[in-house]
Amino acid sequence: MATETPAPDHAGRIRHQLRTSILAGAVLLIVLLAVISAIVNAASLNQYWFLHFPLGFYFLAQGVLIFVVVVGFWFVRTQEHIDHTRSETRELE
Amino acid sequence: MTSPIRLRTPNPHLGAYYGIITSAFVALIVLLAMFEQLGWREVIIAQFMMVTPLLLYVVIAVGARTVDIEDYFTSGRRVPAVFNGFVLAATSVGGVGFLAYTGVLFFLGLDGLAIGLGLTCGLLAGAVLFVPFLRKAGAYTLPAFFGQRFRSRKLRVTASVMQLPPLVLLLAAEIQIAALIASLFLPLTFSLAVFLVAALVAAISILGGMRSLTWVGSAQFIAGAVGLAVPLVTVSVLLTSLPAPQFTYGGVIPSLQNAEITAGLAPVQPEGVTTDLPHMMPEPVVKPFFQSFGILGEYDFFLLFLCLMLGVAALPSLLVRSGVTRSIIEQRRSTAWAMLLVAVFALTAPALAVFTKLLVFQDIGLAPGAALPDWLNELSGRQLLKAGSANGAGGMGAAEIYFTRDGIALMLPTLADLPFVLTSLMAAAGMAIALAAAGSHLFTLAGSIAEDIYRVLDKGAAELPRLAAAWGAIAATALGTAIFLLIADTDPLRAAITALAFTAATFFPALLLAIWWGRCTEGGAIAAMGAGFSVVLLGCGVFGADKAGLYPVYVGLIGAVLALIAGIVASLYGMKPPAATLAYWQELRDPDGETIYDRAKARAAAQAANASASAQ
Repeated sequence: MATETPAPDHAGRIRHQLRTSILAGAVLLIVLLAVISAIVNAASLNQYWFLHFPLGFYFLAQGVLIFVVVVGFWFVRTQEHIDHTRSETRELE
Repeated sequence: MTSPIRLRTPNPHLGAYYGIITSAFVALIVLLAMFEQLGWREVIIAQFMMVTPLLLYVVIAVGARTVDIEDYFTSGRRVPAVFNGFVLAATSVGGVGFLAYTGVLFFLGLDGLAIGLGLTCGLLAGAVLFVPFLRKAGAYTLPAFFGQRFRSRKLRVTASVMQLPPLVLLLAAEIQIAALIASLFLPLTFSLAVFLVAALVAAISILGGMRSLTWVGSAQFIAGAVGLAVPLVTVSVLLTSLPAPQFTYGGVIPSLQNAEITAGLAPVQPEGVTTDLPHMMPEPVVKPFFQSFGILGEYDFFLLFLCLMLGVAALPSLLVRSGVTRSIIEQRRSTAWAMLLVAVFALTAPALAVFTKLLVFQDIGLAPGAALPDWLNELSGRQLLKAGSANGAGGMGAAEIYFTRDGIALMLPTLADLPFVLTSLMAAAGMAIALAAAGSHLFTLAGSIAEDIYRVLDKGAAELPRLAAAWGAIAATALGTAIFLLIADTDPLRAAITALAFTAATFFPALLLAIWWGRCTEGGAIAAMGAGFSVVLLGCGVFGADKAGLYPVYVGLIGAVLALIAGIVASLYGMKPPAATLAYWQELRDPDGETIYDRAKARAAAQAANASASAQ
């Protein structure tokens, strides 16, 4: 399938791809670190209580999930901002 | 003919339509609750509660029927983000998640949370790594994307063949769950229920393809959400006086811990227990809910989470929906909505398991002094549990009751002594979610056979033969899966985990390299897919068919690592990718403009029109 070569804004494209890659890597790294730290500390945190839950259980059952959802929506918003910066005059929506 | 983005406006009345559907479903529940009080028999109530929504799904599918290729494969690329999120969430959770995951939590407690975390994080990983780029490519199937990315028919056919095993396993698991519910609540044998469920799912897919699956799937998601919420909120109000079970079940933890001790549940010693998930056949609970890492150790918990995360992120049934929204931004938003909805389910499932376990063990704890609880006979009659003989003290302990893993969610209303209409509502909810997921898996599988294999064989196929190939593939796949289910002895949870191990090893590394690494070549993609697929096929199918525990998870993760290495090595040692492939990759990474596939199609149509005009 033939493709058209876009406008010669090479530097803008590189910058966009770099920012996209950094954001993707950061989001996945943050989420993985959150999950790993919740797993590693679950047993020891269970001696503390939060909202009537053992804290280690709370993180795995609710805390990490809520965090992931917040990070997910933040990612969507930030990536949209990055995309709009790249293509102010073109159609995205 | 493909329309530009701005002309693809979704139906402005969608909200009203689905508001009416939700109201009708709630009205049905209220009506049946009234009839139950007037003396209607449970059998009649169950039939109305199960069959009425099924009729509604068929009516929606008939209304959404289409013979337009773009509508059939991409729902016209105008589905609003929230509605696509509904179907994505229903497909991710599925009947297996709805029934088997709640069962796993009932048996394993904290150790089972890896599944909910894996599903949610898998959607996030998909949204970050793959979905926007697949939306930009605009291919109708995942193998078609590989074919276009590397300009390779060989790769396209290879990918299509390699997605058969995981999708057949997932489809079989969902049909099995739906048939199990149907055989419990309707006057049907399991075999007949399997064929009827397969026929229903096939009919919906044939009528309107992705279009009917989207609009029927949205209604099924609503039925599933209402059906889960109403009984659970009612039980929550009864037990904690608050209607937010996700946040209030912490209040019953001391009662649950006391009930578990009274019923004879002691903390499990990890070294004395086989690392394994609960099976489909009835078995007793051996682990207290809040004991951390009693059956699955910390490493197994993480590996299960990681395998499910990678498998969901690269699941073809979810990625094939990447082309149905208006734009890349809408597609990313729809995956975020799906992630939110799956997270809400993952927050809710532990509440359901805790309430169920509390009600069971509280009553069992009282049994030596009082009579055995009424629900014991009722649930035994529905084959949701098996009671062993009473112990020496004249009562029952945790070891004397064998619970069916996939029936835990259905037990809750009976345990709480709620009207039967709520039990049948829970069953209708599980059925709805299982049907939505089965429809997605079936269409992805059959659509790929028609688009990636038939179309490669018959390159000049017009729209109608392409649709006819899809219809035939859907019917044949549904029939084949139903026959497979009757012959094979499958466990839905194990089938789903093995399927996700397949997708984690086969598609995750290949997609990662194809989208994020311009240097990746056709040979690299084939090597990655081939290595991952071979490892899981040999590990789970040939050498590990009788292995228990988390074996598919280990094999899937080893396969994913080997596939990544194979893809990188094959790409680096092969020839550099041609300029046209690199140009496609650059354009794929660009968030601007129209879908690549649609633009190429419009260009081809214009060239054909010009050629025709000049010939005249």
